[in-house]
Amino acid sequence: MRRMKEVNILVIVVFVCSIFWLMPLVLIFINSFKPYNDMIQEFLALPKRWNMEMYMETWTQFNFPRLIANTLLYTVSTVLAVVLFAPMTAYKLARTKSKLSTFCFIIVIIPMMVPFQSYMISLIKLVANLKLTGTRTGYILVSIGLCMPLAVYMIHGFIKSIPIELEECARIDGAGKLRTYFSIVLPLLKPILTTVVVLDTLAVWNDVITNQLIIGGKAGAINIQNALYMQFSAQTSDWEHALPGIVMSMIPSLIFFVSMQRHIVGGVTSGAVKG
Amino acid sequence: MRQKKVREFLTFALFVFPTVIFVLFATDIPFVMNLYYSVFDWNGVGRSMEFVGFENFVKIFTQDSLFWDAVKFTLKFAVFFVVIVNIVSLTVALVMAKEKKSSSIGRAFYYIPYIISLTAISLIWKFIFGPGFEALYEITGWEMFNWSWVGTPKLAFYVVVIMAVWQNLGFYMVNYIAGIVAVPKELTEAAKIDGAGRLQTLGHITLPLIMPSVSICTLTSLTFAFKLFDIVMVFTKGGPANSTVSVAYNIYMEAFTRNNYGLATAKSLIFVIFCLIVTAIQLKVTKSREVEQ
Repeated sequence: MRRMKEVNILVIVVFVCSIFWLMPLVLIFINSFKPYNDMIQEFLALPKRWNMEMYMETWTQFNFPRLIANTLLYTVSTVLAVVLFAPMTAYKLARTKSKLSTFCFIIVIIPMMVPFQSYMISLIKLVANLKLTGTRTGYILVSIGLCMPLAVYMIHGFIKSIPIELEECARIDGAGKLRTYFSIVLPLLKPILTTVVVLDTLAVWNDVITNQLIIGGKAGAINIQNALYMQFSAQTSDWEHALPGIVMSMIPSLIFFVSMQRHIVGGVTSGAVKG
Repeated sequence: MRQKKVREFLTFALFVFPTVIFVLFATDIPFVMNLYYSVFDWNGVGRSMEFVGFENFVKIFTQDSLFWDAVKFTLKFAVFFVVIVNIVSLTVALVMAKEKKSSSIGRAFYYIPYIISLTAISLIWKFIFGPGFEALYEITGWEMFNWSWVGTPKLAFYVVVIMAVWQNLGFYMVNYIAGIVAVPKELTEAAKIDGAGRLQTLGHITLPLIMPSVSICTLTSLTFAFKLFDIVMVFTKGGPANSTVSVAYNIYMEAFTRNNYGLATAKSLIFVIFCLIVTAIQLKVTKSREVEQ
């Protein structure tokens, strides 16, 4: 009986902690509706009035529609490119046994072992040499390239578990290589592709470092996270606009998380082995 | 016969080359550029580039005290982060894995910080440590809320640790839960029938069986700690007084603030070797786990 009690206490502690874990987010949310004085004086209290004024102001001041459009463009184009090319490559590399194939596989996989932070500085240089600094094209190309290695690696592992007989049957029935790939192999990859889509969507939507490095502060091509970072990372005390901005930038991630929770949690575990 | 070979190559090219080009552009070519520039003395923009051989490397080991401060900070951060994040996430996972339905909300709460952006994380904590602590000091009168957490070198270190743990705990928790759930029910039940208490079951059955998860999470968190860059760049910018400069951030500053591009690439190579050793161990451990299964 006593043991029961002890265990229950631990369970309660862990659950109470989980609420504390979320506390920073809750505090940001309730304070985003208050004027600055109330934030200090009634930090923990609910706002007297759910005042949307500051949200409106932040929305127009930062040109949120454009930021959202940019971020969506980056996310969608990166994810589309990865979903189109990564499975093709992974499939061909898994099914071809040649020196060229091994060589290409190594080239694609190496970046998973080498930390991004080490070649980052030369990447900035390369992008600048190609005159792509500050352009949407440059950023999209880089972010596709950065998402590819893990995607190919995960899909490659998955394809190895699919029996090759299915493809041989299709070939005997007269299907060409492209046809075999699109109508036999691709549909089988759906579970792993979902994982890839989830991981890459979150990675690109939340990206601030790469956007900062490639785009800098260029107003036309900046994404949401970077715009907020540029505005508020300096010593600022404009919390009345910063908090609504943070809340609005988080809402899409949170909605995405709630609707895709199962895939996110599963996907992250399977991608855990990256270097 | 030859035609068939050409056609085969063309299909291969169609399937593989687009990806290879993307990856070459974003990762492999910059990496090779690193190798090349590391033996030059170059500021990154000017025309004058002087071949200096291994002088850059010698300089790092003999003159660059800032770099070694960064190494010290990174190692200290690694110890704190790895120990705290693994112990806490394992404890949470052990509780969460047992509770079935009710824990999914609890799990989500721990996990959410992992899926929001770094900008949000850094601004949230800037707000908590700034106006938030000011307000809490007025309410409670506790001296710790009156300290300048972000402005004092000693405390800024803990701020970085707190943020990193807060952000990443959910990720490790999920990995541990996956390991715990995979432990066969029969074993824990058999132990219970044999009269083992909960702590005994934990120590003799569950923990030994999830050792692979433990080693993988430890190594993953270790590589994460070595690569620490984002939080520093977005939140502390290395300050106050260079007390939170990590190795990766030191390299970044060397290249773009102090304009020693050649020296920075040389440092990044040392950094890569450092990380590769950990990754190699990690791959070995992962492989051996696959064999067991």
